[in-house]
Amino acid sequence: MEYAIECIDLHKSFGRHQIHKGIDLKIVKGAITYIIGPSGTGKSVLLKQLCGLMPPTKGRVLVNGRDLTQMKQSELTEMRKKFGILFQNAALFDSMNVFENVAFPLREHTKLSKGEISKIVSEKLRLVGLRDVEQKMPSELSGGMRKRVGLARAIALEPEIILYDEPTTGLDPIMCDAVDNLINDTQKELGITSIVISHDIESTLKIADYIAMLYDGKVVLYGTPEEFKTTENPYVRQFFSASKEGPINII
Amino acid sequence: MNKFLSLLGAPFLNFIDITGQMSVLFFTTLRLIFKKPFRTRLLLKQIEFIGANSLSVIVLTGSFTGMVFAFQSYIGFHKFGADQLVGTVVALGMARELGPVLSSIMVAARAGSAITAEIGTMKVTEQVDALNALAVDPVHYLFVPRILAGFIVMPMLNAIAVFCGIVGGAVVGVKVLGINKTLYMQYMYTYIELDDFINGMIKSFVFGGLVTLVGCYKGYMTRGGAEGVGRATTESVVLACILILVFDYILTAFMF
Ligand SMILES: Nc1ncnc2c1ncn2[C@@H]1O[C@H](COP(=O)(O)OP(=O)(O)OP(=O)(O)O)[C@@H](O)[C@H]1O
Ligand SMILES: [Mg+2]
Repeated sequence: MEYAIECIDLHKSFGRHQIHKGIDLKIVKGAITYIIGPSGTGKSVLLKQLCGLMPPTKGRVLVNGRDLTQMKQSELTEMRKKFGILFQNAALFDSMNVFENVAFPLREHTKLSKGEISKIVSEKLRLVGLRDVEQKMPSELSGGMRKRVGLARAIALEPEIILYDEPTTGLDPIMCDAVDNLINDTQKELGITSIVISHDIESTLKIADYIAMLYDGKVVLYGTPEEFKTTENPYVRQFFSASKEGPINII
Repeated sequence: MNKFLSLLGAPFLNFIDITGQMSVLFFTTLRLIFKKPFRTRLLLKQIEFIGANSLSVIVLTGSFTGMVFAFQSYIGFHKFGADQLVGTVVALGMARELGPVLSSIMVAARAGSAITAEIGTMKVTEQVDALNALAVDPVHYLFVPRILAGFIVMPMLNAIAVFCGIVGGAVVGVKVLGINKTLYMQYMYTYIELDDFINGMIKSFVFGGLVTLVGCYKGYMTRGGAEGVGRATTESVVLACILILVFDYILTAFMF
């Protein structure tokens, strides 16, 4: 099997606070991998290390076999053209309107004409179910709308690898389903490698090719949705059944 | 003794740290200025923001400084009957010292702080990460237009401040203090050289880069939410002002 990203013995601490204590994870090329786990286990931090936005304290991250931790800033920047990233809080540029936000990567990295760019922007915004918002500023949007604009921006360049940090959190059920389908379709049509952080277990089991569950700085289980449905792993069982009893500490 | 040393040591190490990081960022920016793409639109926007929008403040600062300076120097010169020298001293002081220092301190307070607040907010709301994620070097995108604008705009603002100061001084000297107009002008022209203005221009060029660099640096290093942005903004103005005064001394000693 070919891997798009490999984490090898990844450690991450903030001061004394250890977040990751040796994560080994291989992301299969062209597949959808979901990362699940309790809030605060470091899923977002892991995502940022996968694309070199945060350096790991120890360990290596290989993207297409090349070690991110050894790259210079300029090489990292070049490499990130392969990535599309949706941040948990969308991280839209608040000095630009919606159109400019989505057009930003196209203007920076392509030689497309104004007309072509505006066509792509409308197309991507339509894909995420947004209409008539192009001239609005991010501060005028609802949380769910912001997230979808962030999504449109992340997929604008049709990258090789897309990282989604909770793409459906805060969306209504219909929109959730639409975004799930979008993730599924972009992957099926374009063969994109997708990594999705999600708290939505139902859609995780439905869409994922592989699932990794994170707890206490380690991957407690990695496998297909089938394996997750049938596993006896106590962490997974407790997490799926939303029960207070089990090895996961609720503080 | 150990405690004393560590008390002394921490701020010292901190100082070395900041100087080091700032120098690295500065030289990175210098290198990136010549790297494509050239974002002319962003540069013009910054020139407007740092320059055009500072005009009123600079005109006021320049004129009032010149006017006050005329009064103060008159007190001294009047004692030995050299009233006509007021013009010379005002022009000299404005061109070599007060123009560049005061105008860049005003720009630090107005634009430098705003630069820190803007970049700092972008930092804490992950917009800087987003730039990185979209394969755009934040130093190239954020630092270059601002620092370049600082270099370009500050000497112009200085020229305006100096001009206003000299005019303000002359108005006070001639109209209020009753110094002979012809003598006032004559002494000013005779004793002022082009060198004095160039001297001030070089200073303001350096200060322009300094103020914008500190603004960008403090913004870029911001941590910790809205409170962090507030703290960074204050620190930015303080650091910029201190550096202006320190560099003013260095440049003055150098060009003496
Ligand atoms: N920049 C940072 N500095 C210090 N600590 C941080 C930083 N970013 C994250 N952390 C800490 O790392 C831990 C993991 O954070 P992270 O955002 O990755 O959680 P998460 O798994 O994404 O949670 P959620 O599901 O709520 O989004 C948290 O305890 C957080 O306090
Ligand atoms: Mg998170």
